[in-house]
Amino acid sequence: MKKNKSKANTAAEKEFVFEFKAGKHNCVLKVPLQFPVQENISDLHGRLMLLHKIPCYIENELKTSLSAFIERETILDYDREAELALQRLTAGDVDVNQLTNAWTRSYVETTLEHARPEEPSWDEDFADVYHELIHSPASDTLLNLEHNYFVSISELISERDMEIKKLQERQAAEMDKVMHELGNTLSDQDVNAVASQHFDAQQVLENKWASELKQVTGIQKQEYQEWVIKLHQDLQKSTNSSQINEEIKVQPSQLSELADSGARMFEEQPQLEESFTIHLGAQLKTMHNLRLVRADVLDFCKHRRHGSGGAKLRRLQTALSLYSSSLCGLVLLVDNRVNSYSGIKRDFATVAKECTDFHFHCLEGQLEEVQQVVLYARAQRSSKQKEQPASGSQKIPRNGCDDKSKNVERNPSNILPGEFYISRHSNLSEVHVVFHLCVDDNVRSGNITARDPAIMGLRNILKVCCTHDITTVTVPLLLVHDMSEEMTIPWCLKRAELVFKCVKGFMMEMASWDGGISRTVQFLVPKSISEEMFYQLSNMLPQIFRVSSTLTLTSKH
Amino acid sequence: MRPLKDAQLGAFTFFASALPHDVCGSNGLPLTPNSIKILGRFQILKTVTHPRLCQYVDISRGKHERLIVVAEHYESSLSHFQKQGKTASPEKVLQIAYEVLEGLEFMNKHGMVHRALSAHNVLMDCKGNVKLAKFGLYHMTDHGADVDFPIGYPSYLAPEVIAQGSFHPSDSSHDEAPLPSGPKTDVWSLGVLLFELCAGRRLLQNIDISERLKFILTLGCMDDIVTVLAEEHGCLDTIKELPENVLELLRKCLTFLPSKRATPAELLGDPVFDGVSCLYTPFQKPVSLFSSSLRCAHLELPEDISDLCKDDDEDYLSERAIDEVYHLWCLAGGDLEKELTNKEIIQSKPPICTLPNFVLEDGESFGQGRDRSFLLDDTTVTLSLCQLRNRLKDVAGEAYYPLLEDEQSSLPQSNSSNELSATVTLPLIIRERDTEYQLIRIILFDRLLKAYPYKKNLVWKEARVDIPPLVRGLAWAGLLGIEGDIQAKYESIDKDTPIPTDRQIEVDIPRCHQYDELLSSPQGHIKFRRVLKAWVVSHPDLVYWQGLDSLCAPFLYLNFNNEALAYACMSAFIPKYLYNFFLKDNSHVIQEYLTVFSQMIAFHDPELSNHLNEIGFIPDLYAIPWFLTMFTHVFPLHKIFHLWDTLLLGNSSFPFCIGVAILQQLRDRLLANGFNECILLFSDLPEIDIERCVRESITLFCWTPKSATYRQHAQPPKAACDNGFGKTATYYSSDYQDMPKTDLSREPLALCDLKAEVSPRISAEDLIDLCELSLAGPAKRTKAGKPKIIAVDIRSVEDFSRGHISGSINIPFSTAFGPDGELLQCPATGVLQNYRGRVIVVISHAIKSAAMFASHLVKVNFPRVCILDGGINKLKPTGLLTVPSPQI
Repeated sequence: MKKNKSKANTAAEKEFVFEFKAGKHNCVLKVPLQFPVQENISDLHGRLMLLHKIPCYIENELKTSLSAFIERETILDYDREAELALQRLTAGDVDVNQLTNAWTRSYVETTLEHARPEEPSWDEDFADVYHELIHSPASDTLLNLEHNYFVSISELISERDMEIKKLQERQAAEMDKVMHELGNTLSDQDVNAVASQHFDAQQVLENKWASELKQVTGIQKQEYQEWVIKLHQDLQKSTNSSQINEEIKVQPSQLSELADSGARMFEEQPQLEESFTIHLGAQLKTMHNLRLVRADVLDFCKHRRHGSGGAKLRRLQTALSLYSSSLCGLVLLVDNRVNSYSGIKRDFATVAKECTDFHFHCLEGQLEEVQQVVLYARAQRSSKQKEQPASGSQKIPRNGCDDKSKNVERNPSNILPGEFYISRHSNLSEVHVVFHLCVDDNVRSGNITARDPAIMGLRNILKVCCTHDITTVTVPLLLVHDMSEEMTIPWCLKRAELVFKCVKGFMMEMASWDGGISRTVQFLVPKSISEEMFYQLSNMLPQIFRVSSTLTLTSKH
Repeated sequence: MRPLKDAQLGAFTFFASALPHDVCGSNGLPLTPNSIKILGRFQILKTVTHPRLCQYVDISRGKHERLIVVAEHYESSLSHFQKQGKTASPEKVLQIAYEVLEGLEFMNKHGMVHRALSAHNVLMDCKGNVKLAKFGLYHMTDHGADVDFPIGYPSYLAPEVIAQGSFHPSDSSHDEAPLPSGPKTDVWSLGVLLFELCAGRRLLQNIDISERLKFILTLGCMDDIVTVLAEEHGCLDTIKELPENVLELLRKCLTFLPSKRATPAELLGDPVFDGVSCLYTPFQKPVSLFSSSLRCAHLELPEDISDLCKDDDEDYLSERAIDEVYHLWCLAGGDLEKELTNKEIIQSKPPICTLPNFVLEDGESFGQGRDRSFLLDDTTVTLSLCQLRNRLKDVAGEAYYPLLEDEQSSLPQSNSSNELSATVTLPLIIRERDTEYQLIRIILFDRLLKAYPYKKNLVWKEARVDIPPLVRGLAWAGLLGIEGDIQAKYESIDKDTPIPTDRQIEVDIPRCHQYDELLSSPQGHIKFRRVLKAWVVSHPDLVYWQGLDSLCAPFLYLNFNNEALAYACMSAFIPKYLYNFFLKDNSHVIQEYLTVFSQMIAFHDPELSNHLNEIGFIPDLYAIPWFLTMFTHVFPLHKIFHLWDTLLLGNSSFPFCIGVAILQQLRDRLLANGFNECILLFSDLPEIDIERCVRESITLFCWTPKSATYRQHAQPPKAACDNGFGKTATYYSSDYQDMPKTDLSREPLALCDLKAEVSPRISAEDLIDLCELSLAGPAKRTKAGKPKIIAVDIRSVEDFSRGHISGSINIPFSTAFGPDGELLQCPATGVLQNYRGRVIVVISHAIKSAAMFASHLVKVNFPRVCILDGGINKLKPTGLLTVPSPQI
């Protein structure tokens, strides 16, 4: 008989021989078996009985001898393999030291028992302490303190702006004067000299302020952290918390007077937004929330004036969830350089500096770290590619792959479309995590597909959201932050449809990664789109996602 | 499963290794997460029951590939023994060795190897008997391939295991996982363990891991490993003093070359155990419910029956099976993650601290430090049963041993019975979470099922109240009437030889209820394939239609470790509810089914029926997957369970009522929408409240005369094959087809004729029964359970006065409707209006006019209209027609 396994593996085939008597006939049953035996012995036995019409009186005999045969041969195989391994060792084919080191490594890196003791980490201790405090009556104090620090920074900033403005005015006047004299008493060179002098003066002033701000933030951060730790210690020490409560209460009253004074005005923009509850999945449905918002992307980061429209609540919410497992993320579209010199990156950096980050490194510090990591990642990648040059079949070369690699070779510190870096913040109003997704000018064109790097980047962002408990994420629906002329209505609709559909697909995929935890996805559209356009988009959403049925309460007659 | 006795429940946790980012399987679908693979492979461990092995109870998946395993646990282990620093007596050593080997041998028979044998995994129960813990770790992790950490402890690793190398996932230089270890590796570990016991100290404790491993490898060049070890640890004298048989045992275990080392089975029969083996009786596997051998064959009652009742400790809970206790523990508020977090086994960092810095386009992330909380800490935490015991402290002892003789009282007569009977009225979802209630129900069902099939009737009766989730698999088997040696039958089916259907099955399985962890695991897929193939092969007249996979899913889920039972249940279910649906050409069966369904819609909800017919939204467009899969294609498993709990109690026409009940839940939206919206609505069926659906379908069912759902292609009546224990058929559960056929029964109808009629026909029999016209004997049912009925005679007044059935009203066809089909105002129609809501049976000479009359009634939204099959002529021979006495 033929065995049906055609799999060509290294496994050996052995023949099982079974002799039995049927009447006067001596019968021999020979079965070639593939080792190691994968299938169930009872099944094999049943199949043999059926196939060869073996009389039932030897059923049990066949079964015992079959299982004994398989057991015996399997043990022999094990022994052979085991001794081969031992022989390799004695013959010197395998280096003992290398072998034992590999074992040591796997124990040390994976088991607590053998792992190196943990070095205490300030960040995490502080995280624990803060998380505990913010969930205690002290939270109000913490928030007020944070706010007051914010206010003093704001004051500094407005002072700076004022001074810079003054300087600029003065310089403008001076320049006017100079221009007036141009050709009369002064030459072009003189004008240039004045201009560069102005520029230098501006630089000096800006640097002065920058360093001052940096210093103040540094001090604030340190003060804050020390205060938090101390408060926590006091809370732990004291058995009766009344005294502490006093301590908690005293501070806000001192500080709250300041609260209203210096806060910079923040113009309230009418936002358009619409929420949907959707169900995903064919049989088992998971519920998620979607929101379509027309706003500026930085609105999610900027703090509003204390006391105005739930700003404090929002701030408390953000603080409460900072070290929890329901974080908020935001996707920011950036160009291929990791810095904060231009465009939206600069605007974002400005917002991020408006308030001291008491928990994480300042944005500049984080970006520096990212730059290091980018270089490291490139190095890793190129060494890996050199290692396995032949395994090209694994990765399907995409269009323009060569261009990309050239680009990387030109400047390894630049990032490519679809890649993103992550920064963490405790000082933004509604966001903890910012994904800086790199996009190129391609996103402005009308013909991007689901295979576009930017879309793949979105998918990876959602994946990180999954693995790091980011339950709310804000995504620019049109993959741009500002509208321009080529972005016509059909362009917008097409783009929105693509992003909606892709995000739907990714969300369904996510359900298989994390078991369908309910999450919120906010789709952000630029402020400059019309109201009509907004409602067109909000009409499109329920056609793509299955919106859960509204509960209709009808009175029965 | 075994009773809990003095054992405790323990839990330990570990992480499955994360998948490489963005790799697809060979079929193009995303890879199965390793945690799901482990979860699937774990299931079989629940069936590995042996007195020397800690019973595995459950596994659950947490966030980020975390797995938590629950198993029988004992606080004391050999490592406690070691800590005391004493040497064990030779007798004790032999006893421990023998018991460990018993456990190992049993595992090996099931194709498993321990690999992680060590002092703290050899537990001791309170009688000092060995219980091996974590014996399934190597099996469930696919020989360690699905986890990052190595399985086994450095000092106990056998030399060949070390030589085969460790596989480190982050190290991509060698992709091959090491070969699986054989049973003999455990014998080495046992040798080390026994040596430690004899020497009274731990081996190789103070040196670094790589030195330790090197030392073990160098033992290969030594002649006498035991002596070398003893010298190395300065305990040569102690070892030398050991009795010869213990030394011999040590030498046999610590044999360097695997080929010379004995297997656990061989060692068990070794002469060194001559003094010990006689104390042990070989373990006998308890006989399962469905088998050819006698379940009571090994039952031995003590001479004095009262010995059985001697137990004076009042701990009845510990007499329950371990899985029951765990189930109840969960219901009583047990939370595995919380228990482990409290003991600081689970330590998680805030996610914001572990974010990566930078992610490439293909999803590889950088800048993320290794998180220490992902390291393995395999300490087992004891789950405290205090909360559960506290919860159950008011449950009387009698409740644990309900008497089954009295068919009247289902719930035990205890103090809490009042409270329980109050619980019965609560919604099912609440009952399923009620600890006391579930305890009582589980005990009752457990006992009933043990007495199956003798107590089949009681199983039916109790199932009507509800079925506890824990025993649902067996309870369903009971309801489906499974009997006999299903295992042997299943084994004799060839499930390996390729058949043409394989391809389709292969395509369908990865798309069937894959949100479920069990069914999406590779083990689940294998089992799916085998059960489906077995069914296809053993039903040569039927074929595989897409949908059979969904139909298989609930049975496979409930009987994951018992494919034979899953197969048997499915094979019993299909002929009962889906007779001939899986014919190669099933169009006539399905067409008839759908036509009867649309008649049922018209019968129960004429307004909806009118609307749907108007927009052309016929059942063919949406209901085929409903019925072909008995709703398993449209609902998630947990809803199917509740739906089928009731479905299995009803007859084959019950699905019609479920279908109508679903439509009624969507009624408002259907009525408000046109064809396109309806198609869209049903392409992805909205959430359905399943409890309401069940409740309403029962009501609908009660209002439906039995013969209204007559189908000529239904399952033909079974031959009377009652075997003594056969259940007495109740009115609702028996099929119309099963009743004896008489002249008054319904006659087959051609499909085109059937399609032409809007309202269903009912048989004269039903009419007689429902109107209580019967001359002989009492009615089969009490009056309360019957639908109210009104017979409408549409013949002319003269014909009516010549003879009609008593209680019927006469509305001559010609007088009833206006030219536009509206109901005319006249005394007779006024009467009809008054009876609105009752079942209206239209009776006439000719079926055609009756059908027309009925369709007019449906048009004006009269519910529950049906026609008498065969008309008045059918009734003439019965002598039931009466002539009204002339009015004076």
